[in-house]
Amino acid sequence: MQVKIVIGTVAFMMTMMLFGYAALREPARLERFAAADLGRNIEKGAELYVNNCATCHGAAGDALDCFNAAGEPIACIGLPLKDEYLLCGEPSNRLIDQDYKFTVRDYIYGTIYAGRIGTQMPTWSAELGGPMEGYEIENVTQFVLNWRPELCTTEGPPPYEWPLTVTELLAAEGVTTPGDATRGAELYDRTYACTSCHGNPAQAGSARVGPWLGDLAARGGSIVDGYAAADYLYESVLAPNAHIAAECPTGPCGMPSGMPGNFGTRIRDPQSMIDLMTFILGNNLETTGVEIEYTRR
Amino acid sequence: MATFIEQVQEMGLKQATIAKADEVVERITAGMNINDIRAALRGDEPRRPNPRLRPHADGFWLHIRPSFYHTEVTHIYPTFRLGWLSTWLFVWETITGIFLMIFYTPSPVAAYQDIWNILGNVPLGQLMRNLHRFGAEVMVLVVALHMLRTFITGSYKKPRQFTWATGMILLVLTLMLSFSGYLLPWDQLGYWALTVFLSATEAHPGPEFIGRNVGLLLAGAPQVGAGGLLRWYLLHVLVMPLLLAIFFFVHYYKVVLHGHSLPPGREEIGEDTAKRVPKEERTYFIPDILTSELMWTALATLILVAVPLFGLYNAPLESHANPLVTPLHVVAPWYLAWSQGWLKLADKTFIAFVLIPGLLVAFTVMPYIEVGKSRRYIDRRLGLSVSMAFIVIMLISNWMGSPEYLVASSPDQEVFQEILPQEGHSVLKEVPYSELRPGVYLPGQALPDRYHLTHALHELEGAIFTHGCFMEGKGKPNPLHLPACRPVIQDDGSIKYRTYYTRDAMPNPEFQLIIRQFQANMMELIITAKVEDPNRPGEFLINSQTVGYRHQDSNYEED
Repeated sequence: MQVKIVIGTVAFMMTMMLFGYAALREPARLERFAAADLGRNIEKGAELYVNNCATCHGAAGDALDCFNAAGEPIACIGLPLKDEYLLCGEPSNRLIDQDYKFTVRDYIYGTIYAGRIGTQMPTWSAELGGPMEGYEIENVTQFVLNWRPELCTTEGPPPYEWPLTVTELLAAEGVTTPGDATRGAELYDRTYACTSCHGNPAQAGSARVGPWLGDLAARGGSIVDGYAAADYLYESVLAPNAHIAAECPTGPCGMPSGMPGNFGTRIRDPQSMIDLMTFILGNNLETTGVEIEYTRR
Repeated sequence: MATFIEQVQEMGLKQATIAKADEVVERITAGMNINDIRAALRGDEPRRPNPRLRPHADGFWLHIRPSFYHTEVTHIYPTFRLGWLSTWLFVWETITGIFLMIFYTPSPVAAYQDIWNILGNVPLGQLMRNLHRFGAEVMVLVVALHMLRTFITGSYKKPRQFTWATGMILLVLTLMLSFSGYLLPWDQLGYWALTVFLSATEAHPGPEFIGRNVGLLLAGAPQVGAGGLLRWYLLHVLVMPLLLAIFFFVHYYKVVLHGHSLPPGREEIGEDTAKRVPKEERTYFIPDILTSELMWTALATLILVAVPLFGLYNAPLESHANPLVTPLHVVAPWYLAWSQGWLKLADKTFIAFVLIPGLLVAFTVMPYIEVGKSRRYIDRRLGLSVSMAFIVIMLISNWMGSPEYLVASSPDQEVFQEILPQEGHSVLKEVPYSELRPGVYLPGQALPDRYHLTHALHELEGAIFTHGCFMEGKGKPNPLHLPACRPVIQDDGSIKYRTYYTRDAMPNPEFQLIIRQFQANMMELIITAKVEDPNRPGEFLINSQTVGYRHQDSNYEED
């Protein structure tokens, strides 16, 4: 019996020591598992993103390479998500421009959850009739936020320093004027997906959110005093909040503008800007030489 | 009796305190003072009248325990301590279960994240979850072995038939307790195991409304959801433990009433002398049985803690339950896998509503209808042989429950499943992130300094080996040394290729593992499979791929 008492006591003490040992390694383990939780959420988010979001936002999140179910390239009608303007900084510049008072995570979650009225972005939440449960929306949100490490710490090529007048733009080094309207159409339709809000310029009434731009060449000079159509368009691309259009098909047309304010960094060279303007306005890029309201970031 | 102050005046403070302490201990133990306890621990003979019997007579905790056992039943054989161990495991599960309950909400919105919170935010949370799950599986095993032991030693025979019958109830309750906890993490594993289990209600042979309504009662809705989770949670933490506790006391009361049966050879055939214990054959509960039980409890607890702590057992956790995505190969827990094996062979209705209930009833009534009186092994050769055959059948049935047996999925999907499944252990995802570098890799490729990836590629080679075959004469090399293809023309005119391992092998399969950088800290893992039709060159029998993602922090190594 004494032997049993000794064995039992030793076993009990060893068990207690095991708990002590477990407790000692707990802080490091907890850290690993908390990180694993996030890591696996991001993996699930990647799966969901590739299956649901890449069609419009691009597989790499840059809204450049979009494919339909048959694998054919199509226009990316979504905005780029791997985007400093959206992701970097808390609040990021997009949140500042939208006067959004919460975090980037909330902004992304809310956008996926409810969709964006007037755009092609649908409602994803199952609570609102969409296909995703809350945890799945969180997974996708974490996946999008996971572009931050590569986006917000590494320095990409600096954005082009846009001149403040169209005159200087047209005189910039290495550009040809007027631009290439065919390439401009490609930029308008596919690269920057202007189509998803402003519709097809060749088809009146096709605009969904922003004003239709098919007649901008005719009326652009009479919107803001002292601006020619080219000046107005150039400013609107770079600084959407400078002047809000009075007519928008789905309204309301108020501050802040629904148009993203990041084209100053997304459009990387003056030739693309001129091609785009040429596509919208035609070959006549007349300017009054007025200085536009634009602050470089 | 004198008050404490009077005692102090009479004996002085020291003596009075000792006397008071003695009195308190005697009250707590319901009859043994400090000297009695010391004497018992030293192994001395008790004084007269024996104070060690009083806790049984006057105390609550020991009143259900016998004050002495027959010495013959206190050795490892014949009981193997399995009954006591089952009881301790029930207590152990209650303790660890209450710990987990503190951090758990039975709601589909919260449950899964609560488990991750237990794993990543609660100190000792992972250990507690592992202890609970490991304890549950050990409990199933111990209860089953307890039943087996009772059968082998013939202890279920008259007059202990009713003890055996309550034991059957306890076995079913133990299985259901274990299984009802399966759903609670709200992951794919538990969700689909329960969904498959509940689909048995559809096979109900009676009127349709019975199966439908029983299904509704158990699932809370046509599909397992918030209501179902809450119900199975309440079954798990309230109903089943309560029922188990009730039947445990009935069971144990009968054990005490009839006494532990002696080893079969110890008594005359047809006699039961367990209750007639001669003085010299008695082993008293205090101190011998008590210390023995405490020792076994301490040893069992040590093992129960050490095994999960040193990573020998890890409670699985798959991804969030998703009613829209059925994982390939939904497998029942091992203690119910035999039923899944049977379901592959015969009609669902027959298995779920005739065979299994029939077996349970047969087991329960067996001691009442059995005619053989002898408990001796030599007289029970037939019964023991049948029981051994039954065990073998159950083990084979368990294997039949695994996806290896009679589950038809295409061979490329089977290879994917072995290396990079959607759920469960993945040899590829367990490769440390530092070894995953972008590139294209081939099955069986050896990579210097990347041991784990080499291992995964080796496993991929092994999976292809069992699901692939080699067609000669096409000028193709056979780098994986695949077995030769044996073409078999099917009824529909198509050709399947056989090998020793499989009836549906891929001729000259070409697999690749592609690792791509997907985000700065995440890799995309793609396994591609291409199988050219040997009879129509340029056309592919199989051209598929599977994709997984591996974040650098996901820590599958510790799964």
